[in-house]
Formats: sequence, structure tokens, C-alpha cells
Amino acid sequence: MNKLVLGVVLALLHITPTVVLVKREDAVRTILPAATGFTAREVRLSGADAHRLHEALDWGPDDGRLTFYTGRRGAATVGSLTFVRVDTPHGPLEVAVGFGTNGAVLRVEVTKATVETKAWVLEAVRSGVLDRYAGVKGGPGADVTAAPKGPALPGGAATYRGKVGQMAAYMLEQIDKGVLRAVVSWGWFYRAG
Amino acid sequence: MPYDLARLDRRARWLITCLLGTFGLAYLFGGWMVALYAGFTPQRVARTYAGPSLVAAPETTMVMEHTMPMSAFDAGDTVEVHLVDTKLLVQDTHVHVPMYGVIAALLSVVVLGLGLSPRWGFGFITLLFSAPWLDFAGMWLTKFASPRFAVLTVAGGFAMGLGYTIVAVLAVRRMWLMPLERTDR
Repeated sequence: MNKLVLGVVLALLHITPTVVLVKREDAVRTILPAATGFTAREVRLSGADAHRLHEALDWGPDDGRLTFYTGRRGAATVGSLTFVRVDTPHGPLEVAVGFGTNGAVLRVEVTKATVETKAWVLEAVRSGVLDRYAGVKGGPGADVTAAPKGPALPGGAATYRGKVGQMAAYMLEQIDKGVLRAVVSWGWFYRAG
Repeated sequence: MPYDLARLDRRARWLITCLLGTFGLAYLFGGWMVALYAGFTPQRVARTYAGPSLVAAPETTMVMEHTMPMSAFDAGDTVEVHLVDTKLLVQDTHVHVPMYGVIAALLSVVVLGLGLSPRWGFGFITLLFSAPWLDFAGMWLTKFASPRFAVLTVAGGFAMGLGYTIVAVLAVRRMWLMPLERTDR
């Protein structure tokens, strides 16, 4: 009886359990291997900034805060990174996006998926798509019109059509959405901040 | 009484038994998943649908910096509750409500054969259909009115479980355990 009721509650919650694909600490070590110390920069968005971010990307952080992490070795900055969550109908996805001191993307890691999407995400990652983000530039300052409207992935996700399964291609688009959010918010609120 | 489950052909009774058993199996595995990954309180439901409580945005964007050890990144690995945003809730409602309607209708057809009084029949059918209404009303009100309405979603879930259990028990009893004269045995 109890299990039946619990089952009904589950069906009503529509929960898709999250799984950690890469621990955040491991992602940080991979993206910024030279860093020995870190600073967290928390950006609490004003209503106006949250609005223009939403206008540009149809997205904003859940709690109105963006967090960027700066990696340092001694007094020298070696790069920065941020974690961005993308909510999909199949549950959340999280990407870690690292930036070099020149403002270009260093590396992207997918850190979280869900029980349902894990296989699709891993197939997308195995396609080598994450490597292609290296060198993508962040937004040039606080000009809203400079926000990239298209995909962050050079050539777009369409270049992977036929190379991966349909659901992997869909997750690839979600990964790209996360990277685009990271690139734009980094350009507007980290470099320009 | 529209029909009597007890007097149905054995194949029809077996079909209904299999249907109820399949629903039960689905619920059992659902319960297992809940036990592994989620809680059952209105607070957890509120977190799923209402999202984190919003603090009023500042006049200007504010930046704060602090140093942190590498180990602090581990805190971000905490398994999260699936946040259902408005777009996803629209989709959930579109997909789930028809299915809940079909399940409620099938169980209501079973209710019609239970030999209950019209009053009890109306009561059970109302329960079966009102549970999903309560459930989704709770989700939408939690998102747009107050997290306190999460209790409606929990109540809707329990009402659905209760409705299924009562119908399944009464149906099995009516079909297989009542000593009726049957000519089709």
C-alpha cells in the first residue's frame, strides 16, 4: 500500500534523478590544471541586467546570481570558469566552461546529466564536439547587441547531424545552449565587471 | 448497475486483473525510485515547482569576491532536485493530463462493475478524476501563487494512490473471491 502511494507521488513529481558525470573538482583540474588557488566572483544581477540577459538568451540564473571562478598560480591569473545549468524536458544538464586570460574558451566539460539523458550525453561527448569549443571568444564587453545570436559551436550543431543519434544530437544542442550562456554571461559580467 | 464484474467472461476478468496489476507494477517501481532519489514532503514539491526563493534584485549589479579552496567545488556536486520551469510544466500538463484522464476513465469503468450504490459510484469516479486535477492545480498554484499549494500536489498524489488501491482491491474481490453462481467457469 505504502509503495503504491509513493509511486503515485513519484509520478506526480516527474523527477528525473541527476547523475554526476564529472565531479566539479575534477572538471576544474582538467580545465585549469595550472591553477593552485581560486577566487569565486559572485555577480548578483540588477533587474535591468537580468532583463537584458533574458532578452538575449531567453535565460537567467535561477537565483539571479552568476558565479565565476578565477584560477591563480601565485599572483598570476591562469584562467577562469563557470558552471551553467540547462533545464531540459528530460532533466537538467550542467556544463563547465573554462576561459583563458585572452577571453577564449579553453575547454568545456559536461559535469551533470540525468539517469535518462546520460547515454545520450555521453554519445554526444564521444563525438568530440567539446574539443571544437576551444578558441571560441567571449562577448566583447557589455554591449547587448554584441551577444552572439547563433550557436556557440563553430559551424553549429547541424555539422553533427547523421554522425550521432537523434537524442545525442538533441543533447548536443542543449550543451551548446549552456556554452552560449556561459560565453555571453562571462563576456558581460566577468570580463566587463 | 451498468454491468457486474463478477458475471463477466473469465477472459474479460483476466484482462481487468492484468490491467490493474500493470498499473500496480508501475506504481511499485515509481515508489522504488522515490525511495532512492526524492522525498515526499510539500517542501520538496515546492522546490521542484516553485524553484529557489527569489531575493529582490539590487538597483545595480553587485559583485562580491572571496577566495575558496579546491575542495569547495565538491559542494556543487550535490544531486539536485529536478526544477520544473513554466515551459516544462506546460509540456508536463499537456502530456500527463490526457494519460491521467485515460487511467481515471479505465478505473471508473471498473468502478461501474463493482456493484456499488450510485452514491458510492459517483464518489469513487469523482475521486479518480479529481485527484489529477488536484495534482496539477497544486503544481500551477505552487509556481504562480504560493509554495504552500504544494500540499495540494501531495494530496492529489495520495488521492490517486488511494483511489487505485480501493478500486483494485474491490475489483479483485468482486471478480475472483465472491461466491457467485457463474455459468462461464
